[in-house]
Amino acid sequence: MVATRSRSLRKMWGQATPYLLILPVVIYYAIFWVRPVIAVIIGSFTDASGVFTLQNFVMVFSDENFWPALNNTAIIVLFSVTIEFIGALFLALLINRKFFGSSIFLFLTLIPMALPAVATGAMWITGLTAHGWINSLLYYLGVLAEGEKIYWLGGMEPNPTKLLALVIIIDAWQVIPSMMIIILAGLQNLPKAAKEAGYVFGGNFMTVLRKITMPMLRPTIQTAVILRLISAIQIWLIIVLLLGFGRIPVLVERIVYYHEEVPGLNISYQMAAGYTIVVSTIVSLTALVYLRVSGAFKKEETA
Amino acid sequence: MNRKVNKKIIKAAKDTVFYLFLTTLIAGMLLPVYFIVSLSFLSTREAYRYPLPLIPALKTDFELTYGENGYMLSVWDRTDKEYQTVLDTNEVEKMEVYIKSRLGTKITQEEIQAEIARLENSDQESIFFTKPRSLLYNYDTFFKVTRDAVPALIRSIEIAALTILISLSIGGLAGYAFARYIFKGKDALRFSVLFVRMFPGVAIALPMVFILARANLYDEPLGLSLIYSVGAIGLTIWITASIFMGIPESLEEAARVFGASKFKAFMRITLPLALPGLAASAMYTFLGAWNETVAAIILTQFKPTFSVVVYQTLLGAQGQINLAAAGGIAMALPALIFTFFLRRYINQMWGGVTV
Repeated sequence: MVATRSRSLRKMWGQATPYLLILPVVIYYAIFWVRPVIAVIIGSFTDASGVFTLQNFVMVFSDENFWPALNNTAIIVLFSVTIEFIGALFLALLINRKFFGSSIFLFLTLIPMALPAVATGAMWITGLTAHGWINSLLYYLGVLAEGEKIYWLGGMEPNPTKLLALVIIIDAWQVIPSMMIIILAGLQNLPKAAKEAGYVFGGNFMTVLRKITMPMLRPTIQTAVILRLISAIQIWLIIVLLLGFGRIPVLVERIVYYHEEVPGLNISYQMAAGYTIVVSTIVSLTALVYLRVSGAFKKEETA
Repeated sequence: MNRKVNKKIIKAAKDTVFYLFLTTLIAGMLLPVYFIVSLSFLSTREAYRYPLPLIPALKTDFELTYGENGYMLSVWDRTDKEYQTVLDTNEVEKMEVYIKSRLGTKITQEEIQAEIARLENSDQESIFFTKPRSLLYNYDTFFKVTRDAVPALIRSIEIAALTILISLSIGGLAGYAFARYIFKGKDALRFSVLFVRMFPGVAIALPMVFILARANLYDEPLGLSLIYSVGAIGLTIWITASIFMGIPESLEEAARVFGASKFKAFMRITLPLALPGLAASAMYTFLGAWNETVAAIILTQFKPTFSVVVYQTLLGAQGQINLAAAGGIAMALPALIFTFFLRRYINQMWGGVTV
């Protein structure tokens, strides 16, 4: 009797173990994530005196910078995620060939990921000014004549397309490595036999890649892309470091702008909260749509 | 026979092309890094020349002549390829300060006096001399001039260590649960990584000011590490789950057959095997906490982190861009060292869990 009781107790204990193990995470998120999130949500639905209102969102949507910010963010996300994915996949496939020195090559490609944002900021600022190292290099290479300069960040007429392109390139430069390591790990864990079979049956590199590697790599690619997608929508720091506030408005930059740059206005907290909710809604919806379209949910149901 | 030789030649040619391609690729990728490193070694005078010198100078060439106010000091300008006058004075101390701070060159007052004497004793209009550069001058100055640099460095290490402690203990437990058990809410846990990232980190940092202030943790290293752990825990769960999945459960079961309790089996078998992977996960967390700047700007006031100090140098560095570069490189060094070790564990860290 006692024995069966202790056994059932032990069984209960055994079932409870995973929950006990994840309990600290739940508590931690409740205190340090859910609480501030709720604070922002409440802030977005109340006015300065704490009364419920939808006025904040009206202000956000009628803000003259909202639609440009949304537009710029969309362009950056579309191009940068695409470029980054292709670049990361290419590098991962290259390193996965395990040539002599591939380990060092891997380290060198990881360097942009390791550099702190302030160092990257300093790097590009000093590069892109009219007297910067990029123009200097072009001069030494003979591309620029003496006294001739390219005004990367400004010039007579500000050109948003050029600036957006610069932001996308710089972002890609920094982010490709962190996407690449996820894909590389996925590649290294693929069973070799499948690929070899593909070659045995006469496939060339491209067909094996298309018909065998890529489909098997799909969960990994989903992971890499979704993580990237979520943070790409939230891009802002490099833009502000390079161009300051307001030149290329993006969504999260607006949050920081209202909080840090114009905190004196009595609507700034409401604007920042409103923008925050809009951004996280957009991020969540995009993530949801991506996961649905890419079939991540389906896999779960069958598993 | 001939065919074999041909094959060898073709292979060698292929290899050459391949490695040339790799070199070009890496050179292109790391070109910006090269320039910021180079800039951190340039003297203040040269950092503002256009076109910027491509490599830092190892020595400075001087020309000393008689001037209106005493002696005229000129330096060789690598951009314009001529000697350019920089000072006209008879104060030796002024020359010393200029040569040290603007030209980043080692010199003592005695040496200057010796050169002046050499000029006086010769019957020439001018004399030439060369002094070695102190290449680490910018780094030295960054830590000396920037009031907070050293305490901020210590604080940043403290914050990173605390973040690793918090996220590895809390996230590691959940990661283990994820790898070994089937339970309700497992998918929710898997998606929580994504979830906490969907809300902009900056937006979290702002209400956290009040929450931390109430707990007396505002402007404290612990407060920042608590914030950093929010993002770090999610990734730690994924990475540790991936690591534990890579260690066969049968090993633990075998230990239990021999009478070990589940806890003991974990401590004696799984944990030692997981240790390298966990260290890699810790390094990854370190990178995040060490490099983070925005929340640190918002959540510190009198106790900035090292990244904030570098950021402020960069913003306030009108005329001292080479100092900011030195600060940035000093900051990047530990991150680079960890990345060097990290690269071996990519497979363990990211191989197991996917969305």
